[in-house]
Amino acid sequence: MMRKLSLAVAATLLTGVALAAAPQHPDFTGVWTNAGAPAMGGTTNAAANVVLPMLPGPKARVDAYTKLVQPLGETPGGWCLGTGLPGSMLGSGGYPMEILQREEQINIVYEAHNEARRVYFGARNAPQEDRVPGRNGYSTGHWEGDTLVVETDNLVDQIDQRFAHSDEAKVVERYHLEPKLDDKGRRVLVADMTLTDPKFYSAPVTAQKRWAQVPNGRLLPYECAEEGWNARLAEIAKKAGVAVP
Amino acid sequence: MNKFFILASGVAIAALATSASAHHSAVQFDFTKQVPIKGTVTHFRAINPHMQLILRVKDAKGEHLVEFEGHSTNNMYRNGYRKGMVNEGDVITINVAPLKNGSEGGYVVSADLAGGTHFGMVSRSLDAAKIQQQAEGK
Repeated sequence: MMRKLSLAVAATLLTGVALAAAPQHPDFTGVWTNAGAPAMGGTTNAAANVVLPMLPGPKARVDAYTKLVQPLGETPGGWCLGTGLPGSMLGSGGYPMEILQREEQINIVYEAHNEARRVYFGARNAPQEDRVPGRNGYSTGHWEGDTLVVETDNLVDQIDQRFAHSDEAKVVERYHLEPKLDDKGRRVLVADMTLTDPKFYSAPVTAQKRWAQVPNGRLLPYECAEEGWNARLAEIAKKAGVAVP
Repeated sequence: MNKFFILASGVAIAALATSASAHHSAVQFDFTKQVPIKGTVTHFRAINPHMQLILRVKDAKGEHLVEFEGHSTNNMYRNGYRKGMVNEGDVITINVAPLKNGSEGGYVVSADLAGGTHFGMVSRSLDAAKIQQQAEGK
């Protein structure tokens, strides 16, 4: 009797340990790069063939913006400004990203411009009135089986990226791992994006990005604004009639 | 060397270096082509978002300064560049995607340095056979 009880207790304990050790969801922690060929000239390769059903008013704004900046070759990135959602999650100029995953929060850093996003789960979420608008907005996440679903709002109006949008845009991303490794033996993370913005588009806009994991990968630091500061410092020094210290 | 030339070159380099902080969107370059250009480095900064380079080149126009931009520091490090590889006075050959409008300059795709050191990317729009043909002047 005692032996049976001991065995039952041991079995229960072992089951509990096994359950505690097994991951609840897939772990996307790591560094991820373009699953396709390296990008050149900043293309994201995810957005190239997406048709944008843009409404006439917003299209006129985008056309005016393009007409203004394109002849000069000016871009936000050239002034060290991150792409913003959804451009950031669609590849951010072809640079890699890093995911740091915890149960209650996932941090994503895109190497280009050190663009950082935080995805909050459950009670970790901030109340709506405390969410600060930004180029990457505010993201909340939940799992549907092994698929990570990220919903983002509180985006600012942006016409300086391919997927221009208003401040009422909402982005839903669905991330899942491909069942098989790619031909280089890497895990592949697929991100399906849907942008909904009735102020800008007549229909939701969708795009897909495939990321491949970099084993033991490291992001490089992306310092960018220092040159602008150095130029400003030189300007101040010149005005003061002194050499730059 | 002629003092006037040295002064003029210094002014020109300063002016170009200021404008070198201007940067062009990648759509302005033709990445289906790759043009080799040899020259002496007068200015080089490995920075983000784009590297800055000014070469003193000799061509049909004579000796003059040409401004280039190129990959970010991050992309350069991923493709073989390390700090200290390019210095003022070095004679190097760069491979550039030219400006579509035909202006001088371009986007540095790769560089061949003294001693056989090489760093850079190959445009996926340009296959190896074409690169070889261009290098051989075919």
